[in-house]
Parts: sequence; structure tokens; C-alpha cells
Amino acid sequence: MSPPLPAALPASPVVAQIDQQLVDRLIEIVGARRVLHQPSELLTFTADALPSYHKKPSLAVFPGTRDELIAVVRELARRNLPFVPRGSGTGLSGGALADGAVIVGLNRLNRVLSIDAENLLAVVEPGVVNVALTRAVAAHGLHYAPDPSSQAACTIGGNVAENAGGPHCLKYGVTTNHIIALTVLLPDGEIVTLGRADGEADGYDLVGAFVGSEGCFGIALDITVRLSRNPEAIRTLLADFMTLDSAARAVSAIVATGIIPAALEMIDQATIRAVESSIYAAGYPTDAAAALLIEVDGALAGLEVDVATIEALCRDSGARTVRVARDEVERTRLWQGRKKAFGAMGRVSSHLVVQDAVVPRTKLPDVLAKIHRIGKDNRVNVCNVFHAGDGNLHPNITYNAADPDETARVHKAMGEIMTVCVEAGGTITGEHGVGLDKVPYMELIFSPDSLATMCSLREVFDPGRRSNPGKVVPVHACREWHAAPSARRIGSNA
Amino acid sequence: MTAVAEGVEAIRDRVRDAARANAAVRIVGQGSWLDAGRPVSAAGTISTREYSGITEYVPGDLTMTARAGTTLGEIRETTAEHGQWLALNPYGVDDGTIGATIATGAAGPLSTFFGRARDLVLGLEFVTGEGVVARGGGRVVKNVAGFDLTRLVTGSWGTLGIVTEVTIRLHARPEADESFAVRLPDSGGLDRVRRTLRQLPFVPYSCEIVNAALAERLLGTSATTALFRIGGNREAVRAQRVALAELGDVREIDASVWDRLRGVEPQQALVFRLSRLPSHIERVWAEANALASRCPGAMLHANPVRGVVRCVIPSASPDCARHVADAFATSTETIRLGERLPMDLWANVSPAATGSDLAERIKRRFDPNGVLNPGILGGVA
Repeated sequence: MSPPLPAALPASPVVAQIDQQLVDRLIEIVGARRVLHQPSELLTFTADALPSYHKKPSLAVFPGTRDELIAVVRELARRNLPFVPRGSGTGLSGGALADGAVIVGLNRLNRVLSIDAENLLAVVEPGVVNVALTRAVAAHGLHYAPDPSSQAACTIGGNVAENAGGPHCLKYGVTTNHIIALTVLLPDGEIVTLGRADGEADGYDLVGAFVGSEGCFGIALDITVRLSRNPEAIRTLLADFMTLDSAARAVSAIVATGIIPAALEMIDQATIRAVESSIYAAGYPTDAAAALLIEVDGALAGLEVDVATIEALCRDSGARTVRVARDEVERTRLWQGRKKAFGAMGRVSSHLVVQDAVVPRTKLPDVLAKIHRIGKDNRVNVCNVFHAGDGNLHPNITYNAADPDETARVHKAMGEIMTVCVEAGGTITGEHGVGLDKVPYMELIFSPDSLATMCSLREVFDPGRRSNPGKVVPVHACREWHAAPSARRIGSNA
Repeated sequence: MTAVAEGVEAIRDRVRDAARANAAVRIVGQGSWLDAGRPVSAAGTISTREYSGITEYVPGDLTMTARAGTTLGEIRETTAEHGQWLALNPYGVDDGTIGATIATGAAGPLSTFFGRARDLVLGLEFVTGEGVVARGGGRVVKNVAGFDLTRLVTGSWGTLGIVTEVTIRLHARPEADESFAVRLPDSGGLDRVRRTLRQLPFVPYSCEIVNAALAERLLGTSATTALFRIGGNREAVRAQRVALAELGDVREIDASVWDRLRGVEPQQALVFRLSRLPSHIERVWAEANALASRCPGAMLHANPVRGVVRCVIPSASPDCARHVADAFATSTETIRLGERLPMDLWANVSPAATGSDLAERIKRRFDPNGVLNPGILGGVA
């Protein structure tokens, strides 16, 4: 799955030279083992989970405490150096890549600071892994609701940056609906509090502004999240269909009932086959054109009624079989196939591109048909595994990057798919973020004035444009935009 | 209706003129809630009332795009035809506009389950203080493209931009939607409701505990009473009703009680909210009762899930006003949020909403001449 890397990166005396003083200072703050500056040490940090992009950071630093983090960012501010906050690097938009900037790794800030089960709140450091938070509160019968597929590895800080979603966001909302307050370290080293955790507040929704800012507004030092109570009961169904269209119609029918499923996921045939031939085999029928994985949860009373309603709607829409998971083991297995689908596709080919467009739900049948056609026309293998209940598509294409012709066709197909989704009234990203990958598409959906307004907001948080430079908004869309300073250039006599 | 034909450009041009002349403007929707917020001194007004109409509604998408001047009533009627609703019933009446509702971040009893305006708005178009027309978000239910201008502007009371169009999330109406009243004991009742709800496997659509004066107005019974609204399939609602019986005798009431609660405040009422974490609800309730103790007819309602008590004082006698002012002057850990207050009390609500440096910097960026609703949120705004 990992992309071919150059056998040896060119030795980069530039980095070492430029910043021996900086390196020394950072070592003073965090210790020698926590500052990486040799090219070989930085290899891991040249990509995120989207293998098509590679950028070389100038160095990477890993503070272990809040005070260390503050000292590091202030040091970078003093030297006017750009930096990129990074969690686990599971992002799918190239958002955590650093092109000559300093990576500030946050994984070591992984403490759950407090849990208030009575008021359904927890305060965490940014490096807490998503599922670790849920584990930490499990004894109270609680969980943290947003559940990206990478939840076993991704961090809450990264989730905040991306406004991450996940299958269960259909019912429970995305990250921004679960963040109450934040303490934020602005790129210039100032510390600000956004929102309040001790009751309701009014005033500007700065929490809303910060969540989803993709690391461009600063670094969260601590995050107050809302916890959710575990449902009394869960029912998981798998319905399979002989056409994509009938599966899409079932989605619309379910959404229209007023039942809000906890999750409503679609998996197409290509994905089913990839999953079923992998170690994540979930028992999905490989001859079906598509399957829906549907989950309802909540109070036990009345839940079976919803299950029966959904089952009937699936059959009315043309489902061949509908089965309800009998127990937790079967439920876990059904979900495993869905959550590991991307991993399973890694077996098929060396490279994978994935999109994240969202379309109005009534447009799903039409858009899926068009995507299928685009795949055929460009002779590429498009798989669809996605959050159908939200209209959040994840068309992905596996390919061999060593084949320039195939690579070109893949990129052409991806562009066409994005255009179809935008023309259907959709958006370019529902949960993965813009990062680097979707910057070129921003102008498809936002006017120059809207983009300039976004730049203005960014400049309030980061007037020096040093935090995650070059991401989210196309550089030329920002009025009076000056090239962000590059760490490589600074101090370089070259 | 010419304003409609001219559309957002007319609003934009008015803002540009105002910015050029450094002449502050008051942003107005229906104009039914103009005494809310801090006093604004403005030379002119810009109304979005005439810029109305639903521009896109595909029921199967459960989203709607409407111009700012569209009333909540029109949205309610249109969505009801398709068995749907905008699950946001802010205090006030349905003559209010969607633009003002989003701009003020309004929330009503349904927020217990469905969240506040910020949770239901998907995208919006607005005109900044420089007369720039910008959009945030989009028309789909999930969207992380670009910085979140939508949430920033939602609840900013027009101080960062004039909301001209919004896209909102709708919900399908449930099979059953029932309302109940449970009479509570004179003391300890609120916390009991809170703890009970904390244990039950469902969240009610609404839960407001009303004091005797408000219960008298709404139900004709003068006793502290918990009002619940629950929804879902019939079997679920039946079970939820049984579960609520733990709290006392459950009496079914007409759903119109919620609109009566929303409309209970007369013009010139004094209205504010007190908030702490839900586990302190009894203390906040006691504080609210003490505040209103010299104000005959004061109507209080508490939301034990959100941890908020809202106080409506229909007409403040001089004695009542003095008592409230004295109480406001004493410090407390409780958060005080003003809705409609006499000028002198605004100094003691906590904190000045745009009090932070960061908020002020945002205000200056979006409205450098300070022409949009200046002062309504305190601070530079």
C-alpha cells in the first residue's frame, strides 16, 4: 500500500545547516529524541494516509507536555517559521503535509484530563486517540460519538482540525456538534479560550469557527467534548440489492420516514468483492450490486418496530435479502468489513485515491450512475463505499502509479466525478477536509469573495500565515497574499 | 416587493453606502424583537423582510434554502405539507424571519433533542460590513469545505454580516409526537427530573420545567410542573410515557402548549437566562427565584438537560427592577445571558459577548467601519 519512495533522499545539509541553532533550542525544550531532522528520520512524515502526495518537512518536533508545546510554538513564532500541526497522520487530504515547514507532532499529548460523567463532558489533550477516549469513559456507560473509520489511530485534535465525521454522524452529528470549548495556542504563541465549558454562552461561535480549520488557526491545547450515553440497544441490518439504483432508492425511503438510523452505509459490488477476498471478510454477498449496512439504536422499546419498518422499505425497494445481526459478534463482523474497506482495497492495487463529495440525497441514484459511467469511459476501477444516509460519497480508485497512462486516466476520472457531484448541488468534501488535495476544487463551489472572506478569518487567527500554510484556500484567492516563509529558505545561505 | 427583485445586490449596495458614510445601520427582520440585545445607535435600518421566499426545497433531501425574510410560519406550512419540519422553535412567534432566527442563534424548547440554530444551519449567504457577498457551507447535510463562516455568522446578531439566505436541515415528523405534564414537588423536583432523564434510554424532544406562575398561564394549574415532548414510533412513545411516570402523575396535554410557551412574553418584558452545568440546575433555579422574588407574575422555565433557566418578567415594577438590578450587581458563578433588559442591566450580564480580543479582531475584519448593529453584543460590536 505504501507508495514507492526514493531509495535515498538527497542529503539535505540545508536543513541541518540552517537550523542547528533551532534544533539545539528545540532539543533543550523537548529532549534530543524528540527532535527529528535527519532525512531518514523524517520519511514517515512525508505523507499522510493519502499516498499520492509527498512533501518534505524541514524537521519534526514532538513536545510531551503542554508547556513544551507552548515553548516550541513560541520559539517557532520568534523565528517566524511555518509549522504544521500533526496528529496520527491518518488524514485523507494531504492536510498534515509540511513542505519545508516544521512538523509539530501532538501524539504525546495524549492525556484525558478530566471526565464529568454527570454533565457528559470530558477534557482531553489533542493527541488522545479517538477510540481511547471512548474506552476511558466506557465505565460510565458513555462514549464519544464521532467515529471516523480511522478511530483506532486518529486523534481528537486531528478530528477537531478536520471536523471529522464517521458512519454514526448521520444520527449523532459530526465533530463540531460535540465540541464545547477549546483552549487554543495561536500561531504567535498567544493562548485563547474559545467557548465555555461551565454553562451556555452567547457571542461569536469561535468554537464553530475553529473546528474544521484544518490546522490553519492554531493548535488546541485542550478540548472539552460532549460525551454521549451508550444506547440501550443496537440493531444492525445488512440488505443486499441487485442494482445500485434500488439500493439508492431504499436510502431515500428510509431517510423519509423520520427514523434517523445511527448509520446508513452503502457498499458497492467492487468493494464487497475486495472486502470478501481480504482478511476482513464480513459475509457480504459477492454477487450483489450493492449492500446497505443499516444500524438503528436507542431505547429498546420501539426499536424492533423501526427495524421492521426499515426491513419492509428495503424489500419494497427491491432488496433480495435483509438480515439482522443476531449478536454482537455478527455485528462487529459486519462493521469490520465496512471500516476496513479501504485497507482491503489496498490489496487490489498499490495506489488508491479517494474522494469525499456530498450530494443531495435524492441525487444519489443519478450521481452513482454517472460515476459508474465515468469509470467505464476512463477504464478505471471505481469502488463506492460511503455514508449513503448523508449523501457523503467516497468513490475511490485503485491503480498502479508506476503506469503514467493509468495515472492520467485516474486523475481525469476523479476530476469528472467531482464535477458531477458539484453540478448535482453537492460539495467537494464532507469529512476528509480540503487539505492539499482539494484546494483546486474550492473555486468550483466558492466565489472569489467567499474565499477571500475565509482568508480574512484565517488572518485573524494567524496573521503571519505560518500555521499549515498553503492549505484549504487557494493562495491566489487571498487578497494581499504573500508567499509564506519557508523554513528551508530561512537561514539558508544558498 | 421591488426589494425582492433587486435582491441581495440592493442590500449589498446599502451596506456599501453605509460603510462609505460611516453611518451605522440596524439590521431588521420582521422587527418583532427589536428591544432584544444591547441598545444600538444607528442612523438607518436595513430590512431583509422583503427579501423572502423559499428558493429550494426538495423534500427527499430534507434540506431547504430560503431567503432571509422568509417567516418561520411559511417554512412551517410548506414543510408540514410533506410531513417535515424545521425542528427549531425559538421563543417568539412564527412571524419571525429565518434570517433573524439564524442571526440571533435562537433556540427554543426543541433544542433539547434537535440542538440549536448552529446545529441545524448548513450554509448561508451574508453581506459583510464592507459590502462583500460571501457564502459559507453549502446545501448538503455534511460539509467541511472551507473555513466555517456559517457557524461564525450564526448567532453573531448581524454584527459580522447581514444574513441574506440560509440553507437549513429539516427533519421528518415522527409517527407519534406527544406532550405531557408532570406536577413536581415544591423542592428538589428539578434535580430529580435531571437525574431521571440522565438514566432513561432516550432524550425527550423538549423538557421545560415551569414555575407556578407560568404553569397557571399555560395549563391553568398553579404548581411547578415539568412539560415533556416526546417523539418516535408509537411503541417508543408509549414506553417513554411509562418511564416518565417515575416522576409523578403524567397528564397528556395539547402540543399547542409549546407555542403558548414561546409566545408568553409581552412587549416590554424583561427577559434573561441563567446557566450553569446541568448538575447545578437546582442552584440556578433558586437563584432565578430569588431574582424574581419581588416581581409579581415572573415566569420562569428551566431546561435541566441544557442547564438553563429562562426568566420572563412581564412588567417590572420599580421595586422589582431595583431588586433585579441589585441582584445583577452581585457577582456569581452563574452565567447571565441577556435577551431583553433595561440599559443599565447589560453591564452586569456575563461576559460582554464579544469581549475577547479575538472576537474584536474578527469584528474589525468583517466590519471595519463598525456599521453593522454596533453595540448590540457589547464590546466593539
